[in-house]
Amino acid sequence: MNNIIEAVGLTKVFPGGLIAVNDISFSVEEGEIFGFLGPNGAGKSTTIAMLTTLIKPTRGMAKVTGIDIIKQPYQARLAIGYVSQDLAVEDALTGYENLKLQAGFYHIPKAEAVKRIAEVLTMVELTDRAKDKVETYSGGMRKRLDIACGLIHRPKLLFLDEPTLGLDIQTRREIWKYINHLREEIRMTIFMTTHYMDEADSLCDRIAIIDKGIIKTLDTPATLKGSLGNEIVEFTFSRGSSSDIETAIGHIKHLDFIEDIKFTEERGYMASVTNGESSVPAIFEAIHDFPVTIGSISHTQPSLDDVFLHYTGHEIREEKVDKESGFRNRMIMRRTRK
Amino acid sequence: MTRAVIFQDIYWVFWREFKKFTQQRARILMIVIQPLVWLVLMGNSMSGLTRNPAAMKMLGTGNYLEFMTPGIMIMTALFGGVFGGTTILWDRRLGFLHKMLSAPIHRAAIPLGKLMSIGLQTMLQALVIVIISLFLGVHFITGIPGVFCLLLISGLFGIIMGSISLSLAANLKSIETLMAISNFLTMPLMLTSNAMFPVNAMPVWLRAIANVNPLSYAVSAMRTIATQGWFFHQIWLPVVALLGIAMITIGVSVKMFYRSVS
Ligand SMILES: Nc1ncnc2c1ncn2[C@@H]1O[C@H](COP(=O)(O)OP(=O)(O)O)[C@@H](O)[C@H]1O
Ligand SMILES: [Mg+2]
Repeated sequence: MNNIIEAVGLTKVFPGGLIAVNDISFSVEEGEIFGFLGPNGAGKSTTIAMLTTLIKPTRGMAKVTGIDIIKQPYQARLAIGYVSQDLAVEDALTGYENLKLQAGFYHIPKAEAVKRIAEVLTMVELTDRAKDKVETYSGGMRKRLDIACGLIHRPKLLFLDEPTLGLDIQTRREIWKYINHLREEIRMTIFMTTHYMDEADSLCDRIAIIDKGIIKTLDTPATLKGSLGNEIVEFTFSRGSSSDIETAIGHIKHLDFIEDIKFTEERGYMASVTNGESSVPAIFEAIHDFPVTIGSISHTQPSLDDVFLHYTGHEIREEKVDKESGFRNRMIMRRTRK
Repeated sequence: MTRAVIFQDIYWVFWREFKKFTQQRARILMIVIQPLVWLVLMGNSMSGLTRNPAAMKMLGTGNYLEFMTPGIMIMTALFGGVFGGTTILWDRRLGFLHKMLSAPIHRAAIPLGKLMSIGLQTMLQALVIVIISLFLGVHFITGIPGVFCLLLISGLFGIIMGSISLSLAANLKSIETLMAISNFLTMPLMLTSNAMFPVNAMPVWLRAIANVNPLSYAVSAMRTIATQGWFFHQIWLPVVALLGIAMITIGVSVKMFYRSVS
């Protein structure tokens, strides 16, 4: 297998000193769907912007389809497709005109463009709406049109930045179907980003978990979940002073089947355990002599959420973004909600 | 990259801008109504004042409407161009700029295509004004070739204002700031020019400003063509000056655009 993306030490420091992407290295194999999973502000879009030659890395280098993004940006642009998180389709134009414009940007001769437009319209199932203005489209249809724009020059490698951002769950599944289709039917390699766990889990062959500009871990979803090894017991207390709870937790921590305990606001205490379901009665027994009562307790297989929590130390959540980025996010939301 | 490709890229950027322009019904309606209101109201209210020999001498024509039509054309070009930079900020905000930049198009094609669209829009607006003024009885002394020159000068002026606006846009993050600056620029430019009032009727200090205001160059060349005839000695200098200014402002806007996207 050839590597279609190779990134070494990519770093982006924005004016003002913010390190959006911090020395990341990874490679993507031909034919795979590779995902960057991380919260808002993690540096996903910035990474894509570097790989698609929109911004210059501060340090590091990368090759896409064998082309150096710094030395040959023009060739790189020809070889790759890019669908931004912004839903950048032109409302005032029809679907067909949007694609015609895109074909023009890629210097595709007129006759060929007509053929290709028909082809990508079929691919995203928008043929019968092609003559309508985009302002009459739903959020999902706009996204499909935007993806079609990214396909017009038949790139070998497609960058999808948060392809289902702001869409409802049904539409998101529909978009997943198209993404899978691209990989299976036309053997396209896809580099995508997302902050949805389920999306990364069900679409991606391999995932890099990125947080604050750093790749925390990189592997297949199955391996990542397996790597936690242990299963998870989540529990909360319904009775007990905080110091009593602390003492009880201190005790539980030292039980031999407990590997680790974390606390989060959303989910309460989370213990990773080595003895499966029998850990639940064992925990009850262990705190029997303490003046506390467990209110709820459940035992689960590790999910990607747990993997994320394990590697980053926090749940996926909204990060603060600068004003213009915030404005852009709201614009995307407004357009997808149509 | 060959030269042919950049022209193709400019064409597609232009195509998008112009297509969007033609879709904006409300704006097109305004383009017709605004000069109509100006010409009818101003023309009527001023004609009483100007129907005396002294005023006629200052205006260079007995008809205030004839005096004012080139002024209105340039004013429209000024407004059409000065907000041209906002399109690039919208493109940035809505992500279309990145879409264009990730395509293999020549980067200079983005500002140049936008300017071309601004130029053509301004010319069309000027044409609307010509048609309205013909209905109101304005006579263009140099006929169709003269009118064509008026349109070209309007377009050129629109492009100058557009490129200044694009240069500002490249240095600003927010659309609101650009709108504020553009609004701030237009009134003083207008009022310190000969667009509305003859220079001879101005106090000396204002006359000094009006004489260096590029808006005045455009208006005086146009006014000569519209009301006096082909007096080339009065036309070529302002036109050459405008062309020179356009070359500089276009060059600067392309440079600034490059800088803002690198
Ligand atoms: N052009 C920019 N100038 C300054 N800071 C930026 C710029 N673009 C993004 N950032 C900042 O860089 C960080 C990473 O942003 P981004 O890559 O967009 O994150 P993600 O796509 O993972 O949500 C954020 O803190 C964001 O505010
Ligand atoms: Mg992003």
